[in-house]
Amino acid sequence: MLVLKGIAASPGVAIGPAVLLPGEHVALSRQYISANEIPAETAKFDQATRQTLAELDECEHKVHDTLGAEYANLMSTHKLILQDPAFHNAILHKIEHEQLSAQAAILFTLQELAASFHKIEDPFFKERRNDLFDVGKRLANNLSGDKNNFLSSVQKPSLLVAHNLYPSDTINLQEHKILGFCTDVGGKTSHTALLAQSLNIPAVVGLSTASKDVHAGDTLIIDGENGLLVINPDRYTLSNYRQIQRDIKKTEALLKTINHLPVITQDGHPIKLFVNYDPRTDKKENKHLITDGLGLLRTEFIFMGTPVAPSEDEQYNVYLATAKRFDMRPVTIRLADLGADKKPDFPLDEFDQDENPFMGCRGIRLLLKNPELLRTQLRAIIRTACEVPAQLGILIPMVSSVEEVRHVRKAYNEILEEFAQAGKRPVNKIALGAMIEVPSAAIALDGMISDLDFISIGTNDLIQYLMAVDRVNQEVAHLYDPCHPAVARTLNLIIQTAHKRGKVVCICGEIASDTKMLPLLLGLNIDALSVTPRMFLRVKNNIRNSDFEHCTDLAQAALLMGSSEEIRNLIEQNNRHENS
Amino acid sequence: MIELDLKIINQLGLHARPAALIAQTAGNYKSTIGLTKDGVRVDAKSIMGVMMLAAEHGSVLHLTAEGADEQEAAQAIKTLFENKFNEEF
Repeated sequence: MLVLKGIAASPGVAIGPAVLLPGEHVALSRQYISANEIPAETAKFDQATRQTLAELDECEHKVHDTLGAEYANLMSTHKLILQDPAFHNAILHKIEHEQLSAQAAILFTLQELAASFHKIEDPFFKERRNDLFDVGKRLANNLSGDKNNFLSSVQKPSLLVAHNLYPSDTINLQEHKILGFCTDVGGKTSHTALLAQSLNIPAVVGLSTASKDVHAGDTLIIDGENGLLVINPDRYTLSNYRQIQRDIKKTEALLKTINHLPVITQDGHPIKLFVNYDPRTDKKENKHLITDGLGLLRTEFIFMGTPVAPSEDEQYNVYLATAKRFDMRPVTIRLADLGADKKPDFPLDEFDQDENPFMGCRGIRLLLKNPELLRTQLRAIIRTACEVPAQLGILIPMVSSVEEVRHVRKAYNEILEEFAQAGKRPVNKIALGAMIEVPSAAIALDGMISDLDFISIGTNDLIQYLMAVDRVNQEVAHLYDPCHPAVARTLNLIIQTAHKRGKVVCICGEIASDTKMLPLLLGLNIDALSVTPRMFLRVKNNIRNSDFEHCTDLAQAALLMGSSEEIRNLIEQNNRHENS
Repeated sequence: MIELDLKIINQLGLHARPAALIAQTAGNYKSTIGLTKDGVRVDAKSIMGVMMLAAEHGSVLHLTAEGADEQEAAQAIKTLFENKFNEEF
């Protein structure tokens, strides 16, 4: 038995035999051909090109239907690359004049193009290099052992192991008896992970060596809850996981029965439970969830993949549709948190020179340097509030000092005045809040709390900045630790400071859906949590099974502890106790 | 044959999206269309070729178009440059 630790990308547990996705490292079956084989080899290449184009077309449609236009654009770049004469002709030239096999011609052309791309220092181009390889490998695979044929050749329900799975592969998994998958590379927020979640397939990514450690036919357990891959489990582990699988099924059935019940602890302490909402992946079943509202609308998607900044009208339509979708319950709209890993295609001021983007010009910093961007978004939000009786909140991302809040407040008041002169007023007052994710804002929150109506804590970034750990950097990712004493103490400081002024605090990072961390958050007296629709009923169930007084004791104990280990032990012990 | 000098006036230069636009537009015409920068000539119908020019804001590209629809082709690409690839207002 071998256990690998990766990143939990999509929840659930899958058990079954392994199948390995071939073709990641295309092995040359043959390098040279003889002169009389040239026409046949050219025809083979043409056929593969046509097949690849048809596949990309099909993927584009599927991705469009599942995830929307933004992701579909990705596939159309792939089509352009495939049809690129430089790519196409270089391959044909190699077949005809160097008498290379179609396969060798494709691989050598890829390498040549990749080498010339490599010389360019621009991250835009580095990204395109991946696209090039996605297309090239797909093409090479269509010459020989075809990937799709491979998936359709899977006879019995299996777990897929791959070095890397492109979104275009993921979208096809469900029709092919694939119960779950794991990959060597990838992160929790990669397109592949998002797709797995929306398809309800358990997945673990970032396993580094899974595709080397697993052999076809091995029995695997993919534990999408804890991010584990178990290879050839012993009998004890296997029966343990079978039990967990049954429990998950039972819990899911149970969860459906608590939808209409209030979010309240066993001893009567109420909590507001919101959903993080993405209009692009809003499924039918989400609509049945009874929530307190929308805790976090990330608006970056409106700004991505478009050549010009989105207009007030475009944004207004999104916000209006969202307010209606939530039947005028509270909706918190986060101002665009652009910069860092979210770079739009349209030009912005103070943007290109970021050496250290997560510490650079992102969130409110970027908006203040591009005031028209900020004003357009504020106008679209205020217009929505004038039009319908929505309960809107505006959340400012990446606040580090009170001046930033005041700048936004000033712009907001000016626009409100413009609307007033046109005879328009918001039906309900709009709340203005700050996303606390920078330590300076947490520590000096007392200085800005009177300028704010509410507080949201973005725990993913807050922990990253508290620890000075880039979660994407595999060398240091293990230092990212929600159990670190600094996390509990900082959350406590934020909540206490806000409560002194009667302001509510909501947590909307991953930590909010973490079953083990929940008692700590409740005990710190958090007012509201915002979680993904998929986790919503689970978290609700956990809250309903908690005892607030007990959680308070646990939190007080944790605040006195000086190491991650102590806090982790405390939380684990509590978790075992709850489960028994 | 038509020859034109085109200056890149959009801030970000020829990154992926404008390159895609040029390749797509050029692909609509039968003429042979080339872009030259610093002695490197690429096929304007090739997205990767255009990207590899790595042309920045302020640089000048030399366009050649030859074929039945060279007039229209050159004009269409010139318009893209002049409109800053629809990136700025």
